[in-house]
Amino acid sequence: MEYSLERRDDAIIVQVGGRVDESSWEAFGAALEEAIDQARQGGVRDLVIDLGHLDYMSSRGLRALTVAKRQADEGEIVIRLASPNEVMREILAISRYDKLFMITETIELKR
Amino acid sequence: MLVRFWGTRGSLPVAPTADTIRQKIVHALLVANGTSFADAAEAEAFIDNELGFAAGATYGGATPCVELEAGSGSYFICDMGSGLRSFGLSSMKRNAEGHRKTYNFFLSHLHWDHIMGFPFFAPAFDPMATIRVHAAHPDAEDALRRQQEEISFPVPFDWLRADIQFVQLTPGEAYEIDGVQVETARQQHSHVSYGYRFTDRDGRTVIYSTDSEHKPDNMEDEAAFITFFREADLVICDTMYSLAESVTMKEDWGHSSNLVAIDLCHEAQAKCLALFHHEPTYADEDIQRMHEESIRYEELTRNGPPLEVICAYDGLEVRL
Repeated sequence: MEYSLERRDDAIIVQVGGRVDESSWEAFGAALEEAIDQARQGGVRDLVIDLGHLDYMSSRGLRALTVAKRQADEGEIVIRLASPNEVMREILAISRYDKLFMITETIELKR
Repeated sequence: MLVRFWGTRGSLPVAPTADTIRQKIVHALLVANGTSFADAAEAEAFIDNELGFAAGATYGGATPCVELEAGSGSYFICDMGSGLRSFGLSSMKRNAEGHRKTYNFFLSHLHWDHIMGFPFFAPAFDPMATIRVHAAHPDAEDALRRQQEEISFPVPFDWLRADIQFVQLTPGEAYEIDGVQVETARQQHSHVSYGYRFTDRDGRTVIYSTDSEHKPDNMEDEAAFITFFREADLVICDTMYSLAESVTMKEDWGHSSNLVAIDLCHEAQAKCLALFHHEPTYADEDIQRMHEESIRYEELTRNGPPLEVICAYDGLEVRL
């Protein structure tokens, strides 16, 4: 798994690539924690996880998202998932995580 | 080894209503669309080929009870849910044909749905039967006696005539019980639950891991489960909730999800996963959908040998 963090005016973007599974969920969780910290310190309320380069995420990654969401909720930061591929769309539906997270086609949020 | 499922539902026994059965018949007749069948075999072939499992059968509604025919001459049974009643009657027929009347029970935990079948276990009244209740809980006997106190049940525990023994097991230790290697491991559940690993003389391994919650905050603890499940021929796992439910409204309810079970089995290189402890409010169609989604998730996330994903139902037999 690779990731990068980008600060934009109104959002923190976490771009994730590769796979989030049993070997990489801890690094993914750490990346999310770092992003939430940056969002908190910058007064940013929008944290976007760009899944455009992500092959898939197992339940470890999904549960790391849950841990991050709990941390984000405390700071009134909203996490949304952007640009999932077809595999991720299926996984999000099968896990019912599409009911827990806002999912958008692109990283821009149409307001 | 043969694994026979006598009860696969969690929490509460359920039964289909008259309307549920009627709707299945209506659907089958519509699919048949006037087809005539020469005999029962043709009708059964139609059910197998043209109707899904939910439409042509049922997953059942008895609470957990799983029998292992491990070739040891005695009975091996996981849990005493309401499915135990049917197992008890079946065993009496086998006893009449010469089967040894020794029952080795292994309790995952002492909640009502996992012990409720024991007051209806007919062999317990047989003075020639030996019943060994293996449990890591020190209070297993208390739990069984309590549910047969007069306020709850008209037949006291002390009226049972079988030789009933309680054997406490220690997690992490290996036992040989009537030719079967048995280990137990602690799981997260209210009042604690325990999983079991059974290995017969041919090296076939079955894992029974029900009522075990895998919380998002404790994922680093899952390494122990991967070791416990390692290369098992069959893993029977609690897959009661969707992943989203298990981390939100059903968090701390002590159960798990299909996705976590599949991931653990992938990492453990297990060969087959049986989805188990079905939510009592699920209709057969809901369970079938969960099964289909589980098969798809396994395909999407497979990174090694395929894991066969089956869905346990009352009456299922799996030969390893």
